[in-house]
Amino acid sequence: MGNPLHHFEVHNVIPIHIGGLDLSISNAVIAMWVGLALIGSMFVLPAKRGLSLIPSRLQNVLEIALEFIRGMVYEFIGEEEGKKYVPFIASLFLFVLACNLIGMIPGSYTITCQIVVTGVFALGIFIMTLVIGFSKHGLHFLGILVPPGIPKVLIPLMIPIEIISMVARPVSLSVRLFANMTAGHTILAVLFGLAMSSVMIGWLPFGFTIAINGLEIAIAFIQAYIFTILTCVYIGDVINLH
Amino acid sequence: MTKKSGLRQGMQIAFRLGTELTVATIIGGLMGYAVDNLFETKPWGLIVGVIFGVVAGCLGVYRVAMKMNIEEED
Repeated sequence: MGNPLHHFEVHNVIPIHIGGLDLSISNAVIAMWVGLALIGSMFVLPAKRGLSLIPSRLQNVLEIALEFIRGMVYEFIGEEEGKKYVPFIASLFLFVLACNLIGMIPGSYTITCQIVVTGVFALGIFIMTLVIGFSKHGLHFLGILVPPGIPKVLIPLMIPIEIISMVARPVSLSVRLFANMTAGHTILAVLFGLAMSSVMIGWLPFGFTIAINGLEIAIAFIQAYIFTILTCVYIGDVINLH
Repeated sequence: MTKKSGLRQGMQIAFRLGTELTVATIIGGLMGYAVDNLFETKPWGLIVGVIFGVVAGCLGVYRVAMKMNIEEED
């Protein structure tokens, strides 16, 4: 029985070393490229080819997807302010979703299983919310650290608590996506290992692998959705201070 | 559509609350530990940090839960 964590290993496919930097093309990078190519071929190319008033089947699906994302952004950020962020949120959602789903193909690589990837996403979003907040409200933005309607005596106590909950946001955002994807893939690997270990009763864990595969596809959608919706919530919090 | 939106919101809340609580505690503890290392106040920074972390986590969960109630009443 192989190591169930084997498929999370990153190994170089095309080694490239420039100076002291390791810029090798690994299987993770290839999976990311495939994700980008998938979104590009599904969304960018049909848009370039020209959209028709009577949508084709593909265009219908794409319009529903973008409509869904736009509704989500308007719900949490507001219609006036939200317009600017629809392209960003849409690309984030589609990229995370594509990466999650590519990981479901046996033998491929799930880049959202690397906390580095999700961590950098979350860190970028965190810095983005800070920049939006300071550029929109100026120094007034620091008022986010003082919740409205608390007595003045409690303010020095509330500020460290609010700072902790601010810093916890990107961490929980990245950990949630990473942990869900990693746990699901590990379970799949363990069950498959059990299925291979014995011929007599191996069909039982094998049946579970099929069931959990379906669950994993649902999780891929839900986690991508939650990742983007929390991004919307955080941006909305920063724009509409309290 | 409204029913579906309720399901989506429930899903979001369910996945959110668990991590919110643990991560806030861990972040508070780590901050306290960092303060300990900076100012050599050995156990106190960690203790206060963990307490603040737990409070921050509970506060976050409380806020999400309050929002949930208001949406249900509408």
